[in-house]
Amino acid sequence: MAQENGLFIYGIVPSDVEPTPEAEGVGSPPGEVIAIRHGELAALVSEVGLEEPLGRPADLTAYERLLDGTAVVAPVLPVRFGTVVTGEDAVEDLLAAHHDRFAAALDEVEDRLQYTVHGRFDEQEFISGFLAENASAAALADEVRGRPEIESREQRIRLGEMISQAVELRREAENRDLIDSVGRYAVADAALPPSHELDAVRVSFLVEGDDEDAFVQAVEDFAEHRRDLIRMRLIGPLAPYDFVSAHQLVE
Amino acid sequence: MTVATTTGQPGSALERTSGGGGGTLADVVETVLDKGVVIDAQVSVAVVGIQLLEINARIVIASVETYLRFAEAVDRLSIVPKGTKGLPDMVGDAAGAATKGKAISGLGKAAQEISGAVADSLRDGGSERERERPRRRRDEER
Repeated sequence: MAQENGLFIYGIVPSDVEPTPEAEGVGSPPGEVIAIRHGELAALVSEVGLEEPLGRPADLTAYERLLDGTAVVAPVLPVRFGTVVTGEDAVEDLLAAHHDRFAAALDEVEDRLQYTVHGRFDEQEFISGFLAENASAAALADEVRGRPEIESREQRIRLGEMISQAVELRREAENRDLIDSVGRYAVADAALPPSHELDAVRVSFLVEGDDEDAFVQAVEDFAEHRRDLIRMRLIGPLAPYDFVSAHQLVE
Repeated sequence: MTVATTTGQPGSALERTSGGGGGTLADVVETVLDKGVVIDAQVSVAVVGIQLLEINARIVIASVETYLRFAEAVDRLSIVPKGTKGLPDMVGDAAGAATKGKAISGLGKAAQEISGAVADSLRDGGSERERERPRRRRDEER
């Protein structure tokens, strides 16, 4: 058995955290999630077949569901998706080797949850605003509008490049504004790389339990001020994925 | 895009999406992929190499295609922007800004999506998530 199965590690939690019997892990059929304890720590794990490839949408969803569900009741350090070790001994070795560092990191995320703010420009709004403020782009727009691409390709590329650069500059500004506006209600922030060419903002915040309402209200206000220009979303509460980088734990 | 767990105050400019894998698959991928504590880089425990399904990254690069697409969006603009003429003093500034911006052109912006995303993998309801939450003994003993 030991050769064919491994333990998939979801995250590290305080030792008093106990998965419910219904908790479903990755794999098909989903593995049962158990806690392996050492000292003040526990690792949430489930058995996986080593031959079975992981990474189906259902695996990613199960992983996130378990970690986010845990995060709302206890501090948790997500372990990178796909981390599998040989067995319980290996998990205990891992917890033992980094006990104090993991425990300290858990203290830091105690009663703190991640929220990710993700906004996307409304393309028409953004471009009209840009053309209204940029006469040379507007002149190019007049040249290309209504003309077939084959006749106006060069101008189109120039115009599109100007728009693309304007998006990038505006995105940097919006990310800064967001952090300025709502950062006071968070203990940490992390600007994330854009995931779409029209991304307007993408920042994760680590928010203390007591500040959640004020934080959400501040994001609401930020969104309201940009209602027509940016489609704004707030994702969370989440486990602190963007606040447990490897370098924090490496010696 | 919209799933059952996406909510917001009526009329709110902010769309709320709960965690717990309740968003779209793109949300899940963006939230969890390549995040978290990396074990094999820091300890010499028995980390097993398993096969991870290829998660195809659709790389959105600010390329000629992107530019042409933006230009097409200009074609679709319903309203011709006002005030674009008669502001010659703005021309210099604007042209300068655009040239400066060239330094950052060509930076690839990646959007990761799983190919063959299936909606039914994200169908799970909220009640199921409630059940699956680990309990914390300390809380219960209080």
